[in-house]
Amino acid sequence: MKHFKLIFVLAAVIGLSACQSKVEYGDATEVETVNENFGSTDLQAIAAKMVDSMLTFPPVIVMTQNDRPIIFVDKIKNKTSEHIDTESVTDTISNKLLRSGKFRFIDMTKVDSVRKQLDYQNNAGMVDPSTAIKFGRQVGAQYMLYGNLSSIVKQDGSTKDVYYKMTMRLMDLETGLIEWSDEKEIRKVKSKSFLGL
Amino acid sequence: MTKLLSLGLICFTLSGCAYNSVLINYPSQIAPIKQQLASPTPSAKLTELAGEIDTNDGLLYAQEAGRVAQVSGDFESSKTYYQAAIKAYKAFDDRATISASDLTATASSLVLNDNAIPYRGPGYERIMVHQYQAFNYLFSGDAQGALVEVRRSNQLQASEQARYQKSQKSVRAMANGTIDAEMNKLDQATGSVTSSFLNAYSYYTTGLLHELLGEPNDAYIDYRKAAQITPNNQYLQQDLVRLAKQLSMPQYDEFKRRWGDAVLPKNGQGQVVMVVEKGFVPEKQSLTVPFTINGNWQTVSLATYQPHRQAIQPSTIQGLGTVLKAEPIANIDALAINALKEDLPAALVRQAARVYTKSEMTRSVESGSKRRNNEADAAAILMQIFNVVTEQADRRSWLTLPRQAQIARQYIEPGEYQIRLGNSPAAKIDVKPNRATLIWVIETGNQTRFYSIII
Repeated sequence: MKHFKLIFVLAAVIGLSACQSKVEYGDATEVETVNENFGSTDLQAIAAKMVDSMLTFPPVIVMTQNDRPIIFVDKIKNKTSEHIDTESVTDTISNKLLRSGKFRFIDMTKVDSVRKQLDYQNNAGMVDPSTAIKFGRQVGAQYMLYGNLSSIVKQDGSTKDVYYKMTMRLMDLETGLIEWSDEKEIRKVKSKSFLGL
Repeated sequence: MTKLLSLGLICFTLSGCAYNSVLINYPSQIAPIKQQLASPTPSAKLTELAGEIDTNDGLLYAQEAGRVAQVSGDFESSKTYYQAAIKAYKAFDDRATISASDLTATASSLVLNDNAIPYRGPGYERIMVHQYQAFNYLFSGDAQGALVEVRRSNQLQASEQARYQKSQKSVRAMANGTIDAEMNKLDQATGSVTSSFLNAYSYYTTGLLHELLGEPNDAYIDYRKAAQITPNNQYLQQDLVRLAKQLSMPQYDEFKRRWGDAVLPKNGQGQVVMVVEKGFVPEKQSLTVPFTINGNWQTVSLATYQPHRQAIQPSTIQGLGTVLKAEPIANIDALAINALKEDLPAALVRQAARVYTKSEMTRSVESGSKRRNNEADAAAILMQIFNVVTEQADRRSWLTLPRQAQIARQYIEPGEYQIRLGNSPAAKIDVKPNRATLIWVIETGNQTRFYSIII
């Protein structure tokens, strides 16, 4: 009976100590493998590959030699079976491209806010007309950056295989020619553990 | 010592009785919610349901809550509930092959009943969660999100199909994409065999969303599968002919010969696509058989479905000029019955093991001397009462699902229409030129709800 008590107390202690939750800071670029879903590591890998590929592509080097071409980023079409924030992927890519100092960007997601602001400056009667920014003075984009993210998921028994493919293209809006294109593939395999909770 | 141990075991398992359906059968818990769905304000009970999502049967309650919110038109909160259900399904997927929690659940099911095992829905329920989630995304204006859910259902549909492919010839034929005429004849006589395994409604919905959201080729694939399961639905046949023509598919001539040529819209016409859901899927009943082992009373309880059900009449839709008659695409009750059939062998094994455990438990508390002298043995009587009371059939299933789904489709001049389903009050819908108006009609008891969106 005495042993029983001891075991019980031990079990209770172990059980309770496991209930303590804790918070830690981690490295944002650390490889993340919490589950097989699209995660930060995939996003970073895609962005790094795309930016690297674009900046080292010879015609793009020529294009950016004397000029900083203006690009607008179209949405990346999510064709996977996961709800993925593709805007976040394009944000990272455009950030890196912009930081390279070789391109300039137009943000199409903010057009409505800009229009509202210009409308206020020009029509509200509150702003000194000499300082108000006029309509129709913005610069048009020369290139469009767009892409597709697709996935193939296969599952059989305890193995799940997820394959992602991100394709990105840069189109010259004047000629309609694709100036650059590349893809990044990612494969993840998840196997279920045999024993567990 | 054995007495002490078994008493301890009982106390331990009874403390686990915070499980909902262990002692109170599930259909009676959901009955008031179904009643409310038949009234104009169904969401009153929603918080109660949502409170159960953290419990053992969380998956089931999340499904019910998602459906109740959706039926009452609250697509945003329905989305959250279904997400909880999807998360629960994923947790089951990720669970280890031999898992400690599964073993514990099975062990307590041996002492109590099958309701102690956390609910793990059948394949068709899981697909329907994604299908309904796709509707949630679509009706809250996120077409891309809807397509993600459609793709998820496609994946699950494929794995369900693979599961039956080995045993069922008709499912194999489906993989080949053939809609064979023999099958057609058989179905007219007996009702489709495949339709009790696979859900034509999900195939049709995924196809429909693919089509409406600009992926006609994917739609064609899903429609063909739906047609294999439910070959006699004219609207579906017409969809296939039309898509085969538009996409110049090689099957076009064959489809045209069998079902007539495609009806295409006149210039400037809009389209009305109706999905009608009727009634509630039937509840599982319990079949209880009492008997004695060594003079001690015991019972076995198994879940079953009542055999004779009234057929559902096709709905008539008025207010679109001509009277439109919807045609059934899938009977959810057939799927439910089949899911139970598949579950039965395992349930019987557990039942046998439980009968043995319970009779051993009674014997262990029984006092031999009292039995010999024919005296009342309080412990043994208590144990028998415990055994009989805890023996409850596993009657859990997603009960707010419709019993039957019907579809209808028509090209129509643009404008405003007042439509009615049978004798329901009229609902206003808009039809725009060259656009499709998707109307989702849910009939629950005396209440008919219309949701429409122009795509």
